[in-house]
Amino acid sequence: MEKVLTKKFFPKWVEKLKSYKIYAPVKENEHWSYTNIDDPENIDLDYPLTTLSPKKIIFPQREIFLEFTASNEGGTEVKEILPAEEPSVIFGVKPCEAIALTLTDKVFSGDIKDPYYWKRRNQTTLIGISCNTPPSPNCFCVSVNGSPYSKEGLDILMTDIGDKYYIEILTKKGEKLLNLAKGLFKSPTANDKKNTEQIHIESKKKIKRQIENIKKIPPKLKEMFDSPFWDEESMSCLQCGICTYLCPTCHCFDINDEIASSSPIKGKRIRTWDTCQFPDFTMHSSGHNPRPDKASRLRQRILHKFQYFVDRYQNYQCTGCGRCISFCPVGIDLIKVLDKVSDYGL
Amino acid sequence: MPEEFEPKIVAFLCKWCSSAGSDLAGVSRMEYPSNVVPITVMCSGSVSPLYILSAFNRGADGVLVSGCHPGDCHYIKGNYYARRRIALLNKLLEFIGLEPQRFQMSWVSAAEGVKYTQIIKDFVKELKPLGPQTKLGRNL
Amino acid sequence: MVNLEDLKKEARQILKDGKAKYIIGYKKGANDLMPTPAFITKPEDAEDLVWNPACFHNLTHFLVDEKRRKAKEKEPDERPVGIVVKGCDSRAIITLLQEKFLNREDVYILGVSCENTGVLDEKKLAKKIKGKKVKKVEFDEKNNFIITTPDGKTKIPAEEILAEKCIECKANFPVIYDVLFGEKVERNIDNPFKSLEKIESLPREERWTFWKEQLDKCIRCYACRSVCPMCYCDECVADTINFAVTADTTAEEKAQKIKWVEKSPVSSENFAYHLVRAIHLAGRCIDCGECERACPMDIPIRLLNKKLEKEAKELFDYDAGFDPEQPPLVSCFKDEDPEDFIR
Repeated sequence: MEKVLTKKFFPKWVEKLKSYKIYAPVKENEHWSYTNIDDPENIDLDYPLTTLSPKKIIFPQREIFLEFTASNEGGTEVKEILPAEEPSVIFGVKPCEAIALTLTDKVFSGDIKDPYYWKRRNQTTLIGISCNTPPSPNCFCVSVNGSPYSKEGLDILMTDIGDKYYIEILTKKGEKLLNLAKGLFKSPTANDKKNTEQIHIESKKKIKRQIENIKKIPPKLKEMFDSPFWDEESMSCLQCGICTYLCPTCHCFDINDEIASSSPIKGKRIRTWDTCQFPDFTMHSSGHNPRPDKASRLRQRILHKFQYFVDRYQNYQCTGCGRCISFCPVGIDLIKVLDKVSDYGL
Repeated sequence: MPEEFEPKIVAFLCKWCSSAGSDLAGVSRMEYPSNVVPITVMCSGSVSPLYILSAFNRGADGVLVSGCHPGDCHYIKGNYYARRRIALLNKLLEFIGLEPQRFQMSWVSAAEGVKYTQIIKDFVKELKPLGPQTKLGRNL
Repeated sequence: MVNLEDLKKEARQILKDGKAKYIIGYKKGANDLMPTPAFITKPEDAEDLVWNPACFHNLTHFLVDEKRRKAKEKEPDERPVGIVVKGCDSRAIITLLQEKFLNREDVYILGVSCENTGVLDEKKLAKKIKGKKVKKVEFDEKNNFIITTPDGKTKIPAEEILAEKCIECKANFPVIYDVLFGEKVERNIDNPFKSLEKIESLPREERWTFWKEQLDKCIRCYACRSVCPMCYCDECVADTINFAVTADTTAEEKAQKIKWVEKSPVSSENFAYHLVRAIHLAGRCIDCGECERACPMDIPIRLLNKKLEKEAKELFDYDAGFDPEQPPLVSCFKDEDPEDFIR
């Protein structure tokens, strides 16, 4: 179903969604991030890439699993803490970020579905905005089967066509939001449709960067596990966590118990983000570390994203947002590394 | 009638002087507020800034570091190092906006039981109006 | 002006003569603006070296990596490592020498002078050229940066886009080197701690609000620590990710490891981590500004270290990173050290 919304009516639509918790990209100093907003006037849908993707709303950096208290009789009381009942809407989700959520969906599903992830995921409606111009100079979504107007994973896709937004409703969840403000939306004219298509086609052409031969990469990587290639590429890596923490598809986590008091013992079991780039990510309690150096950790990251994930889920674990390239303090460029991989040994 | 706020003070006392001074106050039956959690360390110089920050992190309302007078350190120089390190930490905590009354250092010798009680009495008096320390404390 | 060809020639020669294992320098990066660290082993690759106002990185961090690598080798190559350093970076080398982490014979220092300018700040540059793509940045003989965009070349006075740390620079040319490129230009900084003025002038509660707002953004990616050459501890006290556990560590030891700071990126833990890091860097931080540049959340993290640098100078007349024979700040004392804060 398709509709249009005049831009000046957009804040009115948001106001009708008061029963939901609204998230949207907001600028603080020079820094954009998805924040809970109260005033719809603060939403600016024409923004560059945020530092952290909306993954942080559905898979927060700190999540409480359960609380435990040692009881006087000698046992332990355990109370599960599921995420709060909080229907939410995220505006301004870029298509790459929605695709990223479909990838993390695969990881948190399987025989046992992660209840914490899915509670938030199911109660969140994603309203996307297509990228008329690349939000980052390092965007390469097209190379990894994405596009600046991809509908995958979104409940609604909006396209900015000048004085209005072209609205494509993709799921029942999205339809529900539209029904709360039916009067504001109109049917699109043939011109609107044409404009939108034109903008979409143009936007794809504007993506400057690409991975040269991505199809060659998964089989190539299979042969490169023991190659000295990784030693050379990881020389300048700092082992900070930036590329993984900012990546919309990365999902590794750590679970710790945080003890609030020791008599009686009271605490919480917490899940936090973790990264394969930290030296102790694979440290065993025996002292053995199967990934003891930078080379093995960089190799792990690349192989996970472009070989293991492909083998398991038939998708690259990358949506081409380019954050790892833009934010790496030493300028390690994923695209360049992958291009070298596809040419390796030739 | 609301319960009056009783500040919790963590005191790092050097074994040879300050801790002995606090013991002297005790055996002499001097009265002083019971708000202190005393931790004996071998020397004020061995007090790492990490201990102090950890005390605040766990909810201490005030932290005291007390050692031997300059020249009297059992390990000769420890208290001089402490003087430097605590000065730096003091400035840092002030910079981030922690109330300066919450972090104190003193020289208390083994014979200064009275001084010790006075320091604690003054400390508690200064902390009471400030209320609980909520800035650096954990709320996990 | 620094003659890049001279630098390349020296690098080539050292590698040809086998005087250094490899040379750490700057080479052109994947995008046109930011260079990337280069590890040059072959003499002909010295041609890749660059020197421009975007050479922000403090390459001394890789000397720490080199030491760790050497420690694992059975028959390590004892030759020095060549390294290209700016003034601030050279002070980091001096601090590492001071702490006996490195020996002088382990490094062959190719010092490059920033003369009257320094390195630029990417965000200030982006604002200045209003989002145009940068193709090249260069120094010029007067105090300007020449920026090449698709529209052509523009000259911008360096002070408009200089990195904050360069405005307060105490060492615009290397204070230790084997070879120096560029002139030793004397530069007087009228206020070496100007960046602190704004915060120090705020009343206490506003200072707290400022720092709380900033540190609440922290995602504990530890980039600030990873990029710092002086944060070389195998096991960092402030977090649980880096225990130096070996096959010999007993179960007792493991069970009793104290967890000072939780992994959760909440306010109290973020403060604990940053304050401990700042105090551990007292008298050691030489303000290369890398921590702030690396931070993805735009936290003005270098100000914490700057504050302690100021106090070290004002209270104890101590300057980090100029004299390798000087004792560390917190392992020495003077009889006259202030004690007015002690009861």
